[in-house]
Amino acid sequence: MGWISGQFTTRTIVLIPIAIAINISLGFTVQTVLKLPIYLDSIGTILVGVLAGPIPGALTGVLSNLIWQVLGGSNIGPFAVTAGVIGLLAGLWGYLGIYRSRPASPNQLIVAAVIAAVIIGVVVFPILNNRAYTDPNIGGYPSWVFGAIVVIGILAAVMVAGFILLRRDLAGFWVAIAGVLTGIVAAFVSAPISAYVFGGVTGSGVDVIVAALRQGGSDVIHASLGQGLFSDPIDKTITSFVVFIVLAGLSRRIVARFPNGERLIGEIVD
Amino acid sequence: MLRPPDGFYRRLNPVTKLAIALCTAVLAFVVRGWSPPLALLVGVGLIVAGTHLGRAFLPFVLATLPLLASILLINTFLYPGATDTILVIGPLRATGSGLTVAGQASLRILAFALSVAVFALTTPTDDLLADLERRGMGRRGSFVIGSAFQAIPRLATRAREVADSQRARGLDTEGSAWRRIRGIVPLAGPLITGALSEVEERAMALEARAFSAPRRRATIRPMPDSRVQRIGRWLLVGITLALVLATFTGRLALP
Repeated sequence: MGWISGQFTTRTIVLIPIAIAINISLGFTVQTVLKLPIYLDSIGTILVGVLAGPIPGALTGVLSNLIWQVLGGSNIGPFAVTAGVIGLLAGLWGYLGIYRSRPASPNQLIVAAVIAAVIIGVVVFPILNNRAYTDPNIGGYPSWVFGAIVVIGILAAVMVAGFILLRRDLAGFWVAIAGVLTGIVAAFVSAPISAYVFGGVTGSGVDVIVAALRQGGSDVIHASLGQGLFSDPIDKTITSFVVFIVLAGLSRRIVARFPNGERLIGEIVD
Repeated sequence: MLRPPDGFYRRLNPVTKLAIALCTAVLAFVVRGWSPPLALLVGVGLIVAGTHLGRAFLPFVLATLPLLASILLINTFLYPGATDTILVIGPLRATGSGLTVAGQASLRILAFALSVAVFALTTPTDDLLADLERRGMGRRGSFVIGSAFQAIPRLATRAREVADSQRARGLDTEGSAWRRIRGIVPLAGPLITGALSEVEERAMALEARAFSAPRRRATIRPMPDSRVQRIGRWLLVGITLALVLATFTGRLALP
């Protein structure tokens, strides 16, 4: 019990409702003002997970979705499960110190940037070659999807490598990996919910991908999973970088007072 | 959003209404077939009529429209493995089994949305939290949920202000996708940093007011509850669990 109650200091308790409000108001603003086909509704969840630990992170995610549903969301409620898992994972990344700033020498940075680009390639390649998507008996993407994946993969590799080099910070490497992994897990958790509860669609722009996958012959759950594996890693990686940039901009004094603060600020470099 | 408690349904104990909403939501999504969502819709419809809040339900129903449209289109025309074609429009084939799946999913979502709406419109958050706290939820839980509800409109206004001020400084919210992606940090950054600076002050204010004190808070305004409601709640939860179990073990197959 000590492990759990240690994550719920008064500061955490005050942070959670604000994080819930950040999830909902920012998710809504990004979708309406910037009109981007991503969700960006887990910034608060990841923030709490990283600052306070897995249990408060999960709680933030679950409550965000339930409250959003009560305030008039259409189908966000059942995805509380996914949001909870995202919060748990964020807590894990926080414990591992993923979000700690890591200044490094130019050579190390170049090596990290190259490895990051290669890893993104390694993540993208199985999606291109996965039997679940290429075997016509199970399902299959129409050909344009493969082109889109290659373009997005290259863009992502360039952006992550650029981030590492421009900020001179190795943390970008780990943040990207944490974001992609979170996205993949989120996709696997969401797909059965979407398939069982909503007939496999979400009611937003990403349904185009679901339709394309079904046209290619994939079944309900694989179409949802394919859509999730397409959108979620992108969404969660962007979210992770936003959280990282915000955390790096906060004063160390504020960050250090949260339960996980010591793992986030690292050593003082003069 | 305080409303005078008139009508039978609104006078129910908040926890009873919460139990009804949760059980309806679970049943709507878990039990398969045509009849369960239809029965739930009729039930919820009767409650809706009893609350005399007709128009207030409109936004909740409208919010489901994009989802319903997507479900109907994608499942009717692109249902995997369906061969019982009923209509051909150009390259698209509508199938009977796809339409069945789409229709059932739509009914489930309508029943779910309405039951959430009934709960949201008839239950003031303060009442629910006060009652849950009396039943032992703890002041931390009621603080988290209560202040989340207060913070959302505040932060939504703030998000709009940040978006407007960044636009005034030249942020492009209409350009290409790449330009709009670059707008995320100028939008999210000030919003989150500002919100986090509040945390410090609020934490201190709460500590100064004995937030971590071990004793329970006194209940000043107890919510009315009755024996009938207590028994009804347990019955409802029991029936829901039984139906869910029966569905998952395959013993329940309704038309």
